[in-house]
Amino acid sequence: MAEAHRKIAGEGWRPWAVGAGALFLAFWTLFPFYWTLKASFMAEIDVLDSLVGMPPSLTLDNYLRVLGLSVSDSIFGGQTRAVMEGFVNSAIVALPSAAFAALIASFAGYAFGRFEFPGKNALLFTLLVSRVLPPITMLIPYFVFFSAVGMVGSLFGLGITYLTAVVPLLSWMLMGYFASLPIEVERAARIDGCSRLQVLFYVTFPMAAPGIAAAFIIAFLVSWNDLLFGIVLTGGTNAQTLSPALLGLSPLMPGFRTELVLFAAASILSTVPPLLLALVFQRFITGLNISDPVTTGGD
Amino acid sequence: MAGAPTAALPAREAARARQMSDTQFALVIILGVSLLNAAIIFVPLVYSAWLSLHESNVILRTMEFVGAKHYWTAITDPKVLAAAWRSVVFSAIAVVLSFALSLGFALVLNEDFPGKGLLRALVLLPWAISQVVTATVFSFMLNPNVGALNALLAPMGIVGPSHVWLSQDMALIWVSVAFVWHLAPLGTFFYLASLQTIPEDLYNAARIDRAGPVRRFAHITLPHLRHTTLIVLVVMTVEAVRQFDLVFSLTRGGPGTASQILPMLVFRYNFEFSQYGLAAATSFILTAMSVALAVGYFLLLRKKKAKKETANG
Repeated sequence: MAEAHRKIAGEGWRPWAVGAGALFLAFWTLFPFYWTLKASFMAEIDVLDSLVGMPPSLTLDNYLRVLGLSVSDSIFGGQTRAVMEGFVNSAIVALPSAAFAALIASFAGYAFGRFEFPGKNALLFTLLVSRVLPPITMLIPYFVFFSAVGMVGSLFGLGITYLTAVVPLLSWMLMGYFASLPIEVERAARIDGCSRLQVLFYVTFPMAAPGIAAAFIIAFLVSWNDLLFGIVLTGGTNAQTLSPALLGLSPLMPGFRTELVLFAAASILSTVPPLLLALVFQRFITGLNISDPVTTGGD
Repeated sequence: MAGAPTAALPAREAARARQMSDTQFALVIILGVSLLNAAIIFVPLVYSAWLSLHESNVILRTMEFVGAKHYWTAITDPKVLAAAWRSVVFSAIAVVLSFALSLGFALVLNEDFPGKGLLRALVLLPWAISQVVTATVFSFMLNPNVGALNALLAPMGIVGPSHVWLSQDMALIWVSVAFVWHLAPLGTFFYLASLQTIPEDLYNAARIDRAGPVRRFAHITLPHLRHTTLIVLVVMTVEAVRQFDLVFSLTRGGPGTASQILPMLVFRYNFEFSQYGLAAATSFILTAMSVALAVGYFLLLRKKKAKKETANG
């Protein structure tokens, strides 16, 4: 039966095309990592000799040095410590700001997705404009203001700037999501005597948990991966976040000799939280039709 | 007590009286959210607009009102015009390549093959990691001395030894390619979600009608993806126009100004030369580009929606 289909439809080439596409996809995604991953397990001295093939020996030393567990580290101690501090600082700022952003966006998404009210279109329009503001446009006033009041180097201030980036995006995203949830359960809970807030916290938000979790993950990734706000508002201070710290260790920094392998190890470590979240995210989004911010207006 | 006047009513009536109407409840939430947004987004924007109308002197800490002078300076500044043009080229390359790749990837991932689950999870990875890392990964590959491309291509004689990839002419293109690596997974994600909503029955019906894969693709898949394509293109354009982190990490806008796109120039005006007014004015030009795109899209969708509604009604 299946074969008959194939003959009729002329699908003989199809598995080959899919296979080739899958191979290319795997290569495209993984090859850049391969290079970095390999370098992260090499001694600096082997880098030039092992451009294509495998190095003579593999070592965990780079990771130990980034984690501050190696005693062999004298010259680069300061920079690797900055990476570890960057990890901590990024976690301190990204977790609460993502949680707060997800909460605010849940309220906004619920109100926009469920109700009609006067002025809704105008508010949606401002939300859309906020969503597409380039980060640098937001950064300039914050930087000038924070410099004036001495809030440069404050993780709290940095967290606020992350909210400006993610709250409009997530509100818009969750608006579509809440609109897609069945309203009958909420009505039933209301008839059973729940107050509106009770319905929201005991019925609606639990029902929307996958969407809210996805929103949290996106907000976390935005804050965790950000370079621009972090380098301007915390660069060189005690509050320096991960991306500026990584860049400080980067072989791309002009005028400073750094070790490629050390940077490779730090880079790989920095991708672990996003990697885990992307895997979790992948589960959440299966069958969860989230639309992007600039998008839901039409549906 | 607040409850006192209603105490005479039966408990249930009282509870209902305390409850708000749908509209009131929505307005209370929206008011709270809007106040927060106003405080963290619109107040800073107004402040920035005020900055753009003033000449600031960082050393003397003075502000002098200069009107639209900075805007005039910005739109006649060859550096701004060149950076804006680079932004257009950068965005065009990034959007076209990311669009093509993401559609292709989504079509592949929508098929059944061994290892599909793993690949679906991995495909998001370039999007999920820090662009500092992306920049460095690409710099490893493009490095003239220790890079992968030279290590692979030079022995084959395709390029000379120590070929400089991030050259004056090519830097902008390579930066775009690196950005495509970051951006394409986002489009794949949208396309994959959309592909999964196409009913399998449509394909089966087409098979019975002896439509080959090409015709099924052209008559079922593509029309279904039209709306998603509009979304993908706009999201990608917005992301490309605002892009900063990757370009800053990979080239600092260089060599020279070869990859200095508009956000990079604003950054330099503000943080290297402390010209807050000029930087703010230029940033509003960038914002206008971004908002014009989004509004155009919004109107386009509205029009489509209106058409659909009249067709249905």
